[in-house]
Amino acid sequence: MILSSIVFLPLLFALLVAIWPKANTVRHLALGLSVIEFIVSLSLFKSFDASATGLQMVEKFMWIERFGIQYFMGIDGISLWLVLLTTFLTPIIILASWTSITERVKGFHICLFILQTAMLGTFLAMDAVFFYVFWELSLVPMYFMVGIWGGARRIYATVKFFIYTMAGSVLMLVAIIYMMYLTQEATGQMSASLLDFYQLQIPFVGGTFFSLQTLLFFAFALAFAIKVPAFPVHTWLPDAHVEAPTPGSVILAGVMLKMGTYGFMRWVIPLFPEASEYWAWLFMLIGTVGIIYGALVAMVQPDVKKLVAYSSVSHMGYILLGLFAFNAYGMGGGLYQMLNHGISTGALFILIGMIYERTHSREISKYGGLAGVLPIFTIFFFIITLSSIAVPMTNGFVGEFFILLGTYQSHPVFAYFAVSGVVLGAVYMLWMFKRVFFGEQGELVKDEHHPLHDLNAREITVLVPLVIMVFWMGLFPNHFLNFSKASIDHLVNNRSNYNLTIVQPGASEVMHAQGGN
Amino acid sequence: MNINVGLSDVLLISPMIALFLASLLPITMKVLRGNREQHALITLGQALTGIVAAVVLLVVFGGSDKTAFNNGLIFDGVTQWMGIIALAGAGAAMVMMYENPATTGKQFSELIFLAMSSAVGMLILVSAVDLLMVFIGLEMMSLALYLMIAMSHEEKLSKEAALKYFILGSFASALFLYGVAFIFGSTGGTNILSFMDNAAELVQTSRLFLFGVTFVILGFCFKVSIAPFHAWTPDVYQGAPTPHTAFMATAVKTVSFAAFLRIIATKSLTGSDQLFDILQWMAVITMIVGNAAAIMQNNFKRMIAYSSVAHSGYLMVGLITAGVSDNGAFGASGVIFYLLAYGLMTIGAFAIAAMLEKSENHIVNIDDLAGFAKQRPMLALCLTVFLLSLAGIPPTLGFFGKFYMFNAAIGEGLLWLAIWGMLNSVIGVYYYLRPIVVMYMKEGNAEIAGHSLNATTVTAVVMALAIVLMGFVSGPIFSAVEKSLL
Repeated sequence: MILSSIVFLPLLFALLVAIWPKANTVRHLALGLSVIEFIVSLSLFKSFDASATGLQMVEKFMWIERFGIQYFMGIDGISLWLVLLTTFLTPIIILASWTSITERVKGFHICLFILQTAMLGTFLAMDAVFFYVFWELSLVPMYFMVGIWGGARRIYATVKFFIYTMAGSVLMLVAIIYMMYLTQEATGQMSASLLDFYQLQIPFVGGTFFSLQTLLFFAFALAFAIKVPAFPVHTWLPDAHVEAPTPGSVILAGVMLKMGTYGFMRWVIPLFPEASEYWAWLFMLIGTVGIIYGALVAMVQPDVKKLVAYSSVSHMGYILLGLFAFNAYGMGGGLYQMLNHGISTGALFILIGMIYERTHSREISKYGGLAGVLPIFTIFFFIITLSSIAVPMTNGFVGEFFILLGTYQSHPVFAYFAVSGVVLGAVYMLWMFKRVFFGEQGELVKDEHHPLHDLNAREITVLVPLVIMVFWMGLFPNHFLNFSKASIDHLVNNRSNYNLTIVQPGASEVMHAQGGN
Repeated sequence: MNINVGLSDVLLISPMIALFLASLLPITMKVLRGNREQHALITLGQALTGIVAAVVLLVVFGGSDKTAFNNGLIFDGVTQWMGIIALAGAGAAMVMMYENPATTGKQFSELIFLAMSSAVGMLILVSAVDLLMVFIGLEMMSLALYLMIAMSHEEKLSKEAALKYFILGSFASALFLYGVAFIFGSTGGTNILSFMDNAAELVQTSRLFLFGVTFVILGFCFKVSIAPFHAWTPDVYQGAPTPHTAFMATAVKTVSFAAFLRIIATKSLTGSDQLFDILQWMAVITMIVGNAAAIMQNNFKRMIAYSSVAHSGYLMVGLITAGVSDNGAFGASGVIFYLLAYGLMTIGAFAIAAMLEKSENHIVNIDDLAGFAKQRPMLALCLTVFLLSLAGIPPTLGFFGKFYMFNAAIGEGLLWLAIWGMLNSVIGVYYYLRPIVVMYMKEGNAEIAGHSLNATTVTAVVMALAIVLMGFVSGPIFSAVEKSLL
């Protein structure tokens, strides 16, 4: 029951927040509940077997029998860290939004908790329709978060976000239904279970564009690419980020984008191995273009939040590159980079939110010399900047290094180009850092009527766990990689004939996917 | 022709008898009281009692697969489910009539009498398998409806709506009757059951029969607003008092689709590729026209009206699926389930619209919803649920309605129709989001009308809860529908 509790506790929390009578303590309640959720999710480690390659802690029963749709959840080394990333970031987000969200506080936390359920469900669902329900559900609270608590152009941004991502995923739904019929053809029994999908032999007639596998591949890949967001379907992201309130940006960059890359890892690559291999060049190209394009556009942004938003396009390009390298370095690095990006970019958005709260502006040119006024803030910002540009000993370095190593092994050409993104990343981040923190004091900084205050205890509490993670993940990557290694290796080695087994709790025997019921 | 009417026939049509008797109560009482209205609540109570009785009788006798009146009526799963959905929609609409400024007043008894008579026509329509019976049901339902719309004491709009509805409805009836004549000419009978098994063959061999079927289908395309015969829908939906619109959009639509389904289920489509293609294109065009026009509307009711055209397009996909599949039950249950979901969310949406109307001539624009979420968080939440469900966002019932229907279409190889349907639902998202945007994200002071609307509020909340909760148990409901059709 542990997975179900992790997924649905937040939904219960949302209800609790909704009926909580005291408006002034809603924040405390929400914070407490989200910490409980985090602690509950930590209990995963108690029974997680890092050496197993299959699905663990599986819960499944028939949901819609007519179509073989199951309530089916399971966890492995790939989803484990994404679940923890989600539960780890949520209390931080609540604490970070303590003073920035002042209106409709209750509604905000309800949205946040519903969103948490949707995201966790997406990472844990192992049935296609069940997965799709969570996938789409996640749009609704995010839509409200940007639309209600966002900036001036929030309505444009939030509608664009909703329509873009929805447009991507409806074709995926058609593909899912089609695959359910394929399972019926193959086994006589309709099923939407991912494990049954893995068993399908979908025809791929040597590279022709209209082979069935290619079409299904693109139906899924489009949905995930929009979510990632990969170049050229990334345009909703800068808008959404700029207009979203700080917590919305953090959750968007921290977790929601990972639903896309996770989708590639869990669904696209193992389900359509030949098509993935054939079209890998396209996605590596998209990834590489994204890295360079995102970095170049970030460089010229006058708005610091937009800069970080475009840097996300760049960073997510790395992940795509790593995943389509199809080797342990690339995929492992890709997964690691998902966590890194969640932490570093999440932290960057929080930091930007803190300074925005003080000055109500995000324009780089109006800052300058901030280091002299806000020393603690500067230190935190510097550490996170280092992590973002992947300086050794920080988390970012490990991920990017592995990805480039993996890419070099499989497609060196892409690695040559992608590596320039490392340099460009350093350029735009450090240049921004220089302009904001050093030099002449800008008009916002020296405004004597509103002296800037350095970080308070609450804000430091928000940032410290993130900084700890930056160094922990940078210095001891094996603490994290060891948990995913078996699953990643299994994916890499059996990509063309992938299957997942269900690991029975407490027993050493492994049941085969098809037999396990 | 030998007509034997036995007790079993009377038992089978007992739901209609119950409805009819209940419809007489209010006007009889009014006559006995010297032409004075009894309390509206009593009138409503009498009507609802009749509806509940009819539903119970329909549950008891409905799914028995028996025919009555010389194969004129059939009481199978379609009758039962569609009948119950239509009656529930009609009941909910009557609750709204009770509180609506346009419909309460001196003539409430007459209104309820007409609505109940229309409901009797609906029950005939869902069970009719003889084309003349279909015609009787259709006319009984429609004539009462024309009167209902026209008799509201609202000014111009509803009179105009009634006239439009009457003229175009009569046109549709004429087309239908014309088709029936052709069918009679070519087969010597009007009973669907008599040519059920060889309709596909007849379509190929007899030009006359093909014409007949085509005209009958076109008649229904008018009734269920399939493009290009949809043009009356927005005007009539907007012009009619809101409870009447809810009545039309749910109950009338459901039973019209039921009768349509019976014609299509003859598999005449499989006999003619041209007819099959034309209907597919009409489905696609209906979705596009409905959605594209809905985007441009600022009037809330008109937007829902155009969106209901789009939903007819989706339903058409289900109908075509049911028409071509060997296992017709799957496609048909998709249609029934979709209508169930559609009925709940449409009634809900119109209930909210009715609450926002300050007087019978008040037009509710989408912009008027500004600030509604702050004023009435509960009702705003309900409307959000309805709109998200209409847009097909999981885990609402609307999503499962689309999922089951398009699932059937894909299963029958109508992949391209399913893709069109899915892409169109993305367009739908755009305009369904607009009221939500305005409600939650724009400042304003939208307030519901001053008069008390408790029953309408309860209706809205119940519908919203049903939409969310039934989503989780949609599987068993769908299986139950399908099983009853096999």
